[in-house]
Amino acid sequence: MANRIQKSVPLLMILPGLALAVAIIGYPIFDLAWTSLQDVSRFGKLTGFNGGENYAEVFGDPLFWESLWRTGIWTLAVVLGTLAISMPVAMILNDDFYGRGLARVIIMLPWAISLTMTAVVWRWALNGRAGLLNATLMNAGIIDQPIEWLATASTACVVEILVGILVSIPFTTTILLGGLSSMPQDAYEAAVVDGASGWHQFRYITLPLMKPFINIAIVLNVIYVFNSLPIIWVMTEGGPANGTDILVTYLYKLAFRFGQLGKASAISLIMFFVLLGFTMLYVALVSRNDKDDAAPEEEV
Amino acid sequence: MTHPFRTSTAILALSLGMAGLASAETVVDFTVAEYSSKTGPYFQEVADAFQAENPDIKINIEVVPWDTLLQRLTTDVAGGSAPDISIIGTRWLLDFASQGVAEPIDSYLTPEFKGTFIDTFMAPGVIDGKIMGLPVAASARAMMVNMDLYDKAGATPPKTWDELYEASKKIATLPETFAFGLQGKEIETDAYFYYALWTHGGDILKADGTSGLDSPEALEAATLYKKMIDEGLTQPSPTNYTREDVFNLFKQGKVGTIFTFPMLIPQIKAEAPDLKYQILPFPEGKAKATYGVTDTLMMFADSDAKEAAWKFIEFAYKDEWREKFDMGEGFLPVTKNVAALPHFTEDPDVAGFAAGLPYAKFAPTIANWEEIADVTVRTMQQIYLGEVTPEEGLKAAAGEINKIRGL
Repeated sequence: MANRIQKSVPLLMILPGLALAVAIIGYPIFDLAWTSLQDVSRFGKLTGFNGGENYAEVFGDPLFWESLWRTGIWTLAVVLGTLAISMPVAMILNDDFYGRGLARVIIMLPWAISLTMTAVVWRWALNGRAGLLNATLMNAGIIDQPIEWLATASTACVVEILVGILVSIPFTTTILLGGLSSMPQDAYEAAVVDGASGWHQFRYITLPLMKPFINIAIVLNVIYVFNSLPIIWVMTEGGPANGTDILVTYLYKLAFRFGQLGKASAISLIMFFVLLGFTMLYVALVSRNDKDDAAPEEEV
Repeated sequence: MTHPFRTSTAILALSLGMAGLASAETVVDFTVAEYSSKTGPYFQEVADAFQAENPDIKINIEVVPWDTLLQRLTTDVAGGSAPDISIIGTRWLLDFASQGVAEPIDSYLTPEFKGTFIDTFMAPGVIDGKIMGLPVAASARAMMVNMDLYDKAGATPPKTWDELYEASKKIATLPETFAFGLQGKEIETDAYFYYALWTHGGDILKADGTSGLDSPEALEAATLYKKMIDEGLTQPSPTNYTREDVFNLFKQGKVGTIFTFPMLIPQIKAEAPDLKYQILPFPEGKAKATYGVTDTLMMFADSDAKEAAWKFIEFAYKDEWREKFDMGEGFLPVTKNVAALPHFTEDPDVAGFAAGLPYAKFAPTIANWEEIADVTVRTMQQIYLGEVTPEEGLKAAAGEINKIRGL
């Protein structure tokens, strides 16, 4: 009896926190699900269940599928691009060199500026006639005609992804830098003694040890980038011709321009489950890999 | 050092005192759309003057930028904290009225007060025979040409689309110059097309209520725009140019012809005073037309201060205030007395815009208008980019619009 009480004490102690978390996180999702099954006036009044009609409309809408596909490309490109740049940047910043403090500040600076402001500045810089980018490229003799970066979906997508990468670098670099500075130095010393090249050190020491940090960077970045509205909204509003719409910009238009709150909440819920699914899948994959990796060592 | 308890009692007493004060007067919440930096101070001035005469009513002005106004009102209404009166885009009025958010004002509007308005501008606020709001601002669109460029190219300002096309060909040969400024990005990209659609004899909706985008007139208009893009008569890549971008090119003297609104005139006078321009009616195809745009002053059905709010509305529509507002913002008058003032009849700029009013077209008051406009914007962008032919694009757009309208 006493044993049972002792066992339930920790559970009882986390109960208030758990209840609070469920109330704060769970209630909005429940409300969203409730709304998404009903007809909703543009002012948010629920006017009765419509039997999944919102979902039927969403799934029958070609713009939804195009946006979903584009969201995938956008997320993948921004997250992988960010990682590919942040890793070497973090490694350089981890080395001791003259002016490292300044370099670290410069890398972190974009973080201090709101996403919206960054996007506004880039919108100006990318302006075809008056933009700084074209002026620079033309002065440098790289192009002889101004390029209208945001005029077509293909170029607009590319520059938006690049801006997305730029603003994600500080956060990712911080995570990776934290990982690098906590790494044991003796492994490297041993490797040097054994004659390992720089690449080998990176491939067989840094990468495996950095895995947990890279994983957390991937998961967090995917969540942020997948849901990120400001860059695309400010630069193109999902245009031209919906060519840069991702789910969240499309959702914003549906909800606040067209007043279709029912359909918008359906998309919102779908987005939530996509992210939830991704995170669970990724965590499962990672932990299975860890087990596989760990297995042979135990045999030794 | 102040004793914390004493401070809090003082605050409590103060707030109680203010609450007592507030209950003695009626508060009217008024959401104002920000037309320019002058809008907020102007309405505050009106409110102060009104409160001096009516100490028992307090007018609470809140200025909201246009871009976020609809979203703001939507969330306010949904959250049960709607203002008592608000300026809104007339194109939103149907949604507000059909949801029971807007209060019909027929019973408040005396015949004398009603008689002060120009009838053309009253019409868009009438829904199902009930007056749902008062016109508060009006503008009409017109063509603006850069006379220096026209003279340099030896072209004469056009009266018809054929003449515009010929003149544009001449102007396009000038270095660093674009003949025709064509908007292709963001808000009102569709309006830039309606100008051509209407003057070619088409309309947004046909008589039977279906979309007019699959009409031969619409095809003719879209084909002409596309042809001008392809022949280099517009600025390159119109889909990267918002309304403001096109107007900025005009202010820099780089564009021969644009379609614009009266609010550009004060901007040109301030930013490019040496620009020689002329305001002309839109080029004609088969019809004369201009786009009339009104904004509406709406009263909310949930308001608990309707009498006080209406008293303020009548005060704010006095001639002296209307004159100050229309002059300050560069709008066309919505009341007869102000329209008769010399400034609005003799100034060539204002007269140029006002000339179109007798044949002005308005955006139709139909449900889901924003979504229908978005379909049109997307289609025009696809046509400008060459992703679809005008014929395919317009036909698909008409089908999509008819579906949205449930036809």
